[in-house]
Amino acid sequence: SQQFSALTEVLFRFLTEPKEVERFMTQLSDFATMNKISLGPLKNIVKSILLVPNGALKRNLSSEQVRADFIALGLSEEKASYFAEQWKVNSPTLTRLAVGQTLMINQLVDMEWKFGVTAGSSELEKVGSIFLQLKLVIKKGSQMENVYIELTLPQFYSFLHEMERVKTSLESFS
Amino acid sequence: MAAAREAEFAALQSLLKAPSRDAVRQLCQECFSSPAAGLGPLAQRACPGLAAGPEEAEQLVSALHNLTRHVVYHGLTRAEDILALFPENFHQNLKNLLTKIILENISAWRNEAQASQISLPRLVDMDWRVDIKTSSDSISRMAVPTCLLQLKIQEDAALCGNSPVVSSLTMELSKETLDTMLEGLGRIRDQLSAVANK
Repeated sequence: SQQFSALTEVLFRFLTEPKEVERFMTQLSDFATMNKISLGPLKNIVKSILLVPNGALKRNLSSEQVRADFIALGLSEEKASYFAEQWKVNSPTLTRLAVGQTLMINQLVDMEWKFGVTAGSSELEKVGSIFLQLKLVIKKGSQMENVYIELTLPQFYSFLHEMERVKTSLESFS
Repeated sequence: MAAAREAEFAALQSLLKAPSRDAVRQLCQECFSSPAAGLGPLAQRACPGLAAGPEEAEQLVSALHNLTRHVVYHGLTRAEDILALFPENFHQNLKNLLTKIILENISAWRNEAQASQISLPRLVDMDWRVDIKTSSDSISRMAVPTCLLQLKIQEDAALCGNSPVVSSLTMELSKETLDTMLEGLGRIRDQLSAVANK
């Protein structure tokens, strides 16, 4: 059962940091060597085990339901309860990750800005007006697109005001 | 240089043949607003009554264009400054009329020049909407608010002439992104007030 908890730990560490694939693989092969199991069958078992938390996440299962699922699959009560406990502890992180993976359309990824004064132009020798330039980085599909826009001062204040209204609206729904 | 200026002012004398003061006023406005490339057609259109021939018309239109643009460029606002531009022997009444017309239009022309100066694409309008995401393929039940922002952007006016292209860009912001953006916008506001208060 110590083996099981060690394996569970490895699994959850991977689930909460899905990008750390190499580390996961290394930890799995360490586990295999330490416990004298061959890596191939271990990988298959792990694949099947991983299906449970992923399915649970999709269907918003409670830890009770996860435990019941595992018992139905043939795991001992002790091990199923242990796994369900780990699930409960990690589910906020896992849920947040799943939400983060949800489709976003033209996501705003970054914003840069500068403002300055227009000193003169070819039509006007002395101008002295303030301009604000924004660079918005938008993720379109898998590519980034840069959008440059210029705002006058009144437009900036009105933009700021509208964004504050959006924030209030978002906060009232959280 | 001086000779060219003399010739230009001489060309302005053609305005003495204008049917009315309003005609002169109209012509001044059209000459200011027209870009240098548009002066040829303008000369053909506007001057049949005023000029002896196409060459004279072009010289007149060009002279008016240069005069009005010169005044706007240097930001001359006083009658004395404008009157001083004309040569000594220029027709008195015409000189006064032109000065009067220029003074009437100067601030509108200044705004026109500022509006048409080169710039990055300009924000013309913005709309927003807050949605609540309730489910997705990665998680079947959730309640995540998200913001959709639509910006209407107009390309550089100087490039599009009279029919500016307005494109629309819709983007999505998560709550975190919005918070970060507001932080940035707040900093801009603080810096702007610091500059204004100096």
